[in-house]
Amino acid sequence: MSSLIAIAEQIEQLPISVAIAESQYAFPIIEGVHLIGLSIAVGLLFITDLRLAGVILRRVPLTQVLHQLRPWILGGFASIFITGGLLFLAEATTLIENPAFKFKLVFIALAGINAAYFEFVIAKKAGAELDRPVIPAAVKFAGVASLTLWTVVIVCGRLIPYLPSSP
Amino acid sequence: MSTADILTAIQDSPIAHAISKSNHLVAAGLQVVHVLGFIALLAALVLVSLRILKLVLNQRPLSEVTRDANRLFYLGLSLTVFSGVLMFVSSPKLYFYKYAFELKMLLFIAAIVIQFAVLRRVAASENPSPFAARAAVALSLTAWFGIGLAGRMIGFT
Repeated sequence: MSSLIAIAEQIEQLPISVAIAESQYAFPIIEGVHLIGLSIAVGLLFITDLRLAGVILRRVPLTQVLHQLRPWILGGFASIFITGGLLFLAEATTLIENPAFKFKLVFIALAGINAAYFEFVIAKKAGAELDRPVIPAAVKFAGVASLTLWTVVIVCGRLIPYLPSSP
Repeated sequence: MSTADILTAIQDSPIAHAISKSNHLVAAGLQVVHVLGFIALLAALVLVSLRILKLVLNQRPLSEVTRDANRLFYLGLSLTVFSGVLMFVSSPKLYFYKYAFELKMLLFIAAIVIQFAVLRRVAASENPSPFAARAAVALSLTAWFGIGLAGRMIGFT
């Protein structure tokens, strides 16, 4: 852990990190862009999840929703990772000791595993069944799991300033 | 009764006391509901915008996509307004005189007007003209994204 702290301290001393931390506007603007990217990527992912669960857009074939929203979701995620990375640079030492931040990373990893499992196992196995009116249980479950995991990620993210850092 | 008197009255109300005197996690909980609602609202808005611009789900009628998206939009709007009002009531004097808060509220009024006077009309015609479609989407997304940016500024100004 101490080597992690040492790395975080070095990260925080990089010129770009100092610039973000010291600017009055950089931090909130990057946070704002992070929020907008989130609403596009996770927002459209929520819509996909609700379709997987059979809650909305039931008359749209599932594969159409999955394929057509994908590039927008991935583009949104690119902007979240870039802005999230920049925010991390400016607060590396406090973030790595923040419980909400740690949980956030864990749940991002779980959500990623869930997405990969859906993409490469569940969707492959379901094949043409994806577009039938009756949604396979595994597909519904993957949708609900994704919705839950990403909601927890957002909750953890918003709680970062409210939960004290504990080394 | 001046504005300051009204703000003081709100700040001294039982509901304001209930929130501001409670555990700080109650305030954090309101923030969480606020951001989740905002994401639900924007998710619906982004979907409808992409469909109006014919970038996604073109095989389905615009009215069908809008109808489903609206449920999510109103759920998100209710959650953000409900949590936002409680946050404001808990410390009105803190928010009212902040430039970022004033900007956010002006943008919110603009966004609601655009939503019902412009975007809804464009979405109601099955094949809006490309110009009307682009203008409506640009206006609406600018206002709502602006609200997000101004909202993030509140804590820093």
